[in-house]
Amino acid sequence: MIGLTYSFILLPLVNSVFIFLIPKRRAELFRPLTIFLSLIPLGLCLYVFLNQNLKTSFYVVDEFSWISAYGIDLIIGLSGMSFLLVTLNCLLVLLSILSLNENHSFSKGFLSALMLLQASVNGVFLAGDLISLFIFFEALLIPMYFLMGIWGGENKRYATIKFILYTVFGSIFILAGTIYTGVLSYLSSGNFALDFDSLSSLSITSSQSKILFLLFTFGFLIKVPIFPLHTWLPDAHVEAPTAGSILLAGVLLKVGAYGILRVSIPFFTEGFIEYQFLIATLSVVGIIYGAVVAIVQIDIKKLIAYSSISHMGFVMLGISAGRYLSLEGAVIQMINHGITSGALFMLVGFLYERRHTRRISDFGGLKKSMPIYAGIFLFTSFASIGLPGLNGFVGEFMILMGSFPTFNLLSSIAAFGVVLAAIYMLWAYQRMFNGELTHEDNKNVLDLNSKEIVSVAPLLILMLFIGLYPSFIESYVVQDVSVIYESINNTIGLSK
Amino acid sequence: MSQIAEAIGFNLIVISPSVTLVITVLILLFFTITVETSLSVKKWITFLGILVTVFCVFLKFGLFLQNGISSYFTQKILLDEFSLFGNVLIAMILFLNFLPIWDTSSKLNEKTSEAIILTLMSASGFFLMVDAENLIMLFIGLEIGSISLYALAGLNRSDKLSNEASLKYFLLGSLASCVLIYGVALVYVSYSVMSFYDFALALAYTGPDIVPLTTFVGVLFIFVGLLFKIAAAPFQSWAPDVYQGSPTGYVGYMASIAKVASFIVIARMCMVSMAFILEDFQTFFFVVILLSVLIGSFFASVQSDLKRLIAYSGVVQSGFILSGITSGVNGTSASMFYLFAYILQLIGIFTIFSIISGKLSSNFEMDNINGLIKNNRFLGISFCVFMFGLAGIPLTSGFVSKFILLTNLWAYERYFLVSILLLSTVVGFYFYLRPIWIATIEKVDEPVETLLIKKSEYLLIGSLASLTIIFGLLPDTLINISRWVVQNYL
Repeated sequence: MIGLTYSFILLPLVNSVFIFLIPKRRAELFRPLTIFLSLIPLGLCLYVFLNQNLKTSFYVVDEFSWISAYGIDLIIGLSGMSFLLVTLNCLLVLLSILSLNENHSFSKGFLSALMLLQASVNGVFLAGDLISLFIFFEALLIPMYFLMGIWGGENKRYATIKFILYTVFGSIFILAGTIYTGVLSYLSSGNFALDFDSLSSLSITSSQSKILFLLFTFGFLIKVPIFPLHTWLPDAHVEAPTAGSILLAGVLLKVGAYGILRVSIPFFTEGFIEYQFLIATLSVVGIIYGAVVAIVQIDIKKLIAYSSISHMGFVMLGISAGRYLSLEGAVIQMINHGITSGALFMLVGFLYERRHTRRISDFGGLKKSMPIYAGIFLFTSFASIGLPGLNGFVGEFMILMGSFPTFNLLSSIAAFGVVLAAIYMLWAYQRMFNGELTHEDNKNVLDLNSKEIVSVAPLLILMLFIGLYPSFIESYVVQDVSVIYESINNTIGLSK
Repeated sequence: MSQIAEAIGFNLIVISPSVTLVITVLILLFFTITVETSLSVKKWITFLGILVTVFCVFLKFGLFLQNGISSYFTQKILLDEFSLFGNVLIAMILFLNFLPIWDTSSKLNEKTSEAIILTLMSASGFFLMVDAENLIMLFIGLEIGSISLYALAGLNRSDKLSNEASLKYFLLGSLASCVLIYGVALVYVSYSVMSFYDFALALAYTGPDIVPLTTFVGVLFIFVGLLFKIAAAPFQSWAPDVYQGSPTGYVGYMASIAKVASFIVIARMCMVSMAFILEDFQTFFFVVILLSVLIGSFFASVQSDLKRLIAYSGVVQSGFILSGITSGVNGTSASMFYLFAYILQLIGIFTIFSIISGKLSSNFEMDNINGLIKNNRFLGISFCVFMFGLAGIPLTSGFVSKFILLTNLWAYERYFLVSILLLSTVVGFYFYLRPIWIATIEKVDEPVETLLIKKSEYLLIGSLASLTIIFGLLPDTLINISRWVVQNYL
């Protein structure tokens, strides 16, 4: 088990180096080899899934003494929620490599950067202490910098620098929080212990808890992103290459929410209770704002980017409500949003390769020339809107229902987000696919080929599967969520 | 005779690194003046000299294990952990810079031996400086080291910028030395002591309440003289011009060696001599650190010349290291780690610069590294590693050094300083990532021409880059070493 958990981080790393070392003249090898290599971590996920009881809360798999003088260990561990996110990450990396176009599949730099990103994101989800969490959290900037910088769109320089500086600005707060926690833990136990086990038993005063909660949560919220701190996201999405966008929306946004669930709430619960209303308000503003702005977008990729802000607002609303149901809904919505938005960005990428434009007004009547594509797009849009029977519904319904007892007004307002989602997605669909073929170029657009269908099909299957049988993933997050819920409940009980 | 030797603490081993270097210099001089010798012979002599110097540093370790902390030559030369650490660092800098310096020197044609002699002389001076127990000895070491550096900056005589750099460095440097020796005089006036330890004893004897004003002014002046050498703001004005004007192959050496020696001395002064009155200087140091971080970050963000950018980033890094040194024992140990990691990155960066731009050039615009990753993949990746290291991204030694430094500052309750330093790392990401963008991402207009480098340069840069990563992943050994340096004061 130890080796398996390490291999989620080390295998992509080794793959990345391996791909990079293949000489350029064997360029035809890059894509098949990368697909094969990224199948291995996914296969491992399957193996772990079949052989291991994963319906657990976080448990430590291995420790590694990092700085013995300060007593800092690096710890990796596993839980149901971590496992789901790792699997999602491995799946999305594989699919985004499958869906690559000719330009990118012959660039080994691109492929190895993707692998590096996979390694560091897996690291975040498997980290068992604050230091390794921070290390991987910031290490994922390196591959993202190159992915967006080298293979990005026209305005890539601005978008990349903005993305990096926003994230680094957030991460200094996390670093400050980590240092503060470490010093507190040193003062109480004489050891600079930052692992999740000893943090949960660390006794801190209420004001310290509030400060620490703010420090950590601010850093993670930038990554989510929450309403006033979201401006990097549309730029980053529009300028990133398709594979980068898929992973950015699919897993990188989850890193922030995961951090809040794993660190901010269980360890600094008093701070959470103090600021939960603020976060909920901002999330609801984000839900409505993201949806309204998405309606008026003329660029389909930007539309999906703003819809991400709206959907992640739901996640944050569920988390901030602090109810069992809403927390569970938030985790499920994280997975769901990863699947749907990954699929949407992939689909937009296919269209962009054919037409080299993303303006909605450049399309129209596409249903006639690309029927399969139109069908898949509609299906994915429905999942994203939250049509019952598809995955989006499950999460959003649980969040709204779970958060209503805590925030009646806010969750009522948030429910309008679902309506707005229907407006922006379906209106965009209507303008792009229905009607007459107005543009000459659109008449001869090829429909999806088998390669592209294969790369999007697993996501479609998952949308339907989770929509019909949500208790499958629910059973994996139960333990994680109950730990978080208990910590909230206990603190409320204590304060009464 | 032997009794006298014993009485004054005569011991050749403690000064053996300096002596070896001076002997090497004399042999080189002899060959230059009398017998025609080929360059390769001189190269081997120099290399041998440096190897023997490294060996002598090992001998000093043996002596330390035997005698512990001890002073020699009637309290002129001190052997303690700080001096050993400094010796190791200086020997390492000399060893690592041998290649760039030699290559640069051979480009200077007839002045080859001149350049290498100056280098070795300056190293011998800095060896004495970190070993100094006596303030006069400190001054002598500093001057032997610095004067050679002034000359080294101006060796490329046909270049105006090089001349300017040399003159500027010389004028400002001698001013700083004047201030320093004035400070020494004032300290002597107030307590009639010259030794670090005696000074501490004298302060302890009088107690911190009735320390005369002359002492404060004197200590302040000594610090100013040393802060000048590490290019901490507001004494940083020479650094960008000197870095830019000097032959590129020398800058790595010039920048790192003066910093190492001065930081070691400052650390020892804060730890040993001024321990009782350090509190009174906190405001002064706070202002210096603040200015270094602010001025350095601001000017580094607007530079278009890479050597100037590294100079200003060095100002920021000096602020970081200084903040640890003035924050207690653990902070000092974190600073020692920081210094070590930073020096490796600095030497690596300048070695790469000297390979790309030609050893003698004075201007080094950002465009020079355009398309580096295509010209030479190895250099491009190493360049990224060093830059990421300086920025402090995790998985490099830069992150570990920033992390433990900030942790210790926080534990020392210097919250405001921590927030300033954290913010400066955000700005740091901006200006460190810009060169990486140009080297790896920016489109190249002209056809790519492959940059060929020698095997030895591969070895040098490769080992520096891998050390940067290794210390980021497994910092334990180096952290233990840096704690060993201060263990007596824990």
